[in-house]
Amino acid sequence: MDLTLALVIAAALLAATTAVGLLLRRGQGRVRAVDSAASIDPRTLGTGPLGENATLLQFSTELCSRCPGVHRLLSAIADERTGVRHLDVDLTHRPDLAQRFRVLQTPTTLVLDRTGTIRTRIAGAPTRAVVETELDRLHEEAPHV
Amino acid sequence: MSENARIDVRGPRFAASITAVLLLIATVLSLIGVATAHETSSPNGWLLPQVSVVARIVDPGFLLLLVIALLFVWGVASPRTAPWGVLFRRVVRPRLSPPTEFEDPRPPRFAQGVGLFVTAVGLVLHLAGVPWALPIAAAMAFVAAFLNAAFGLCLGCQLYLVLQRVGLIGRRGTASA
Repeated sequence: MDLTLALVIAAALLAATTAVGLLLRRGQGRVRAVDSAASIDPRTLGTGPLGENATLLQFSTELCSRCPGVHRLLSAIADERTGVRHLDVDLTHRPDLAQRFRVLQTPTTLVLDRTGTIRTRIAGAPTRAVVETELDRLHEEAPHV
Repeated sequence: MSENARIDVRGPRFAASITAVLLLIATVLSLIGVATAHETSSPNGWLLPQVSVVARIVDPGFLLLLVIALLFVWGVASPRTAPWGVLFRRVVRPRLSPPTEFEDPRPPRFAQGVGLFVTAVGLVLHLAGVPWALPIAAAMAFVAAFLNAAFGLCLGCQLYLVLQRVGLIGRRGTASA
């Protein structure tokens, strides 16, 4: 193959990779509403109890570079709000949980309501605003006593 | 554990930038080398199966990818002493503002292992006389390194859960309850 064609292929590879990178970055922190009837039993997760009003259930692995940052963000948000708990489940040695919650990337965050039902699924690293919007929405929906 | 001491997040991205540049050069070199050359007298039309193993080894694309693969071995075996990390700590970091973000060293180390696997498969197939194995492996490793360097995305780390779910890696630890 001559050098010109090889350089054209290399330039095309660079352009295609940049496009993939932009697409993947846009997909980070995407929010998806979940319509699920089943509620989560915290005992199956091997964690403490769920939050009284809402739970931020984060899935991580030991090899996830963005998980510690998301952990700090979600913990901070949970600390600021009453009745909101942040649980971080390490899937490194729990493929059964990855299977059950169909987690294909970490971090993945599930927002659970007061009954432990999954309401929102966030794939990738979320922004603070996204998480707070979801929690505000759950708070408004909840019956005020 | 000192081995799990947190590292400056900019270190692995600096290393990935150099690796990405080297891999793009390796892709070009292997495209113009013996891996993609045609030979009309060859039964399948490719030159590579016709040449000696020595000729496959002295191809510049093969030699550069071999060097990159050895650097991946170094990065997996001893991340603290790997050359790009040392260069970052000695020369680059003193010129930057103090680190604000730290990360666990295990994800970048795992990613080096994925890079090693991809490049090693390309090198072995090339030695076995498979045309195009070399530029394709170099290009795949380039994609992963470039996404890490430019976007902070770690494909190797993303792959972990997928590999775990198909049962290739990770312990089957369901007996914790």
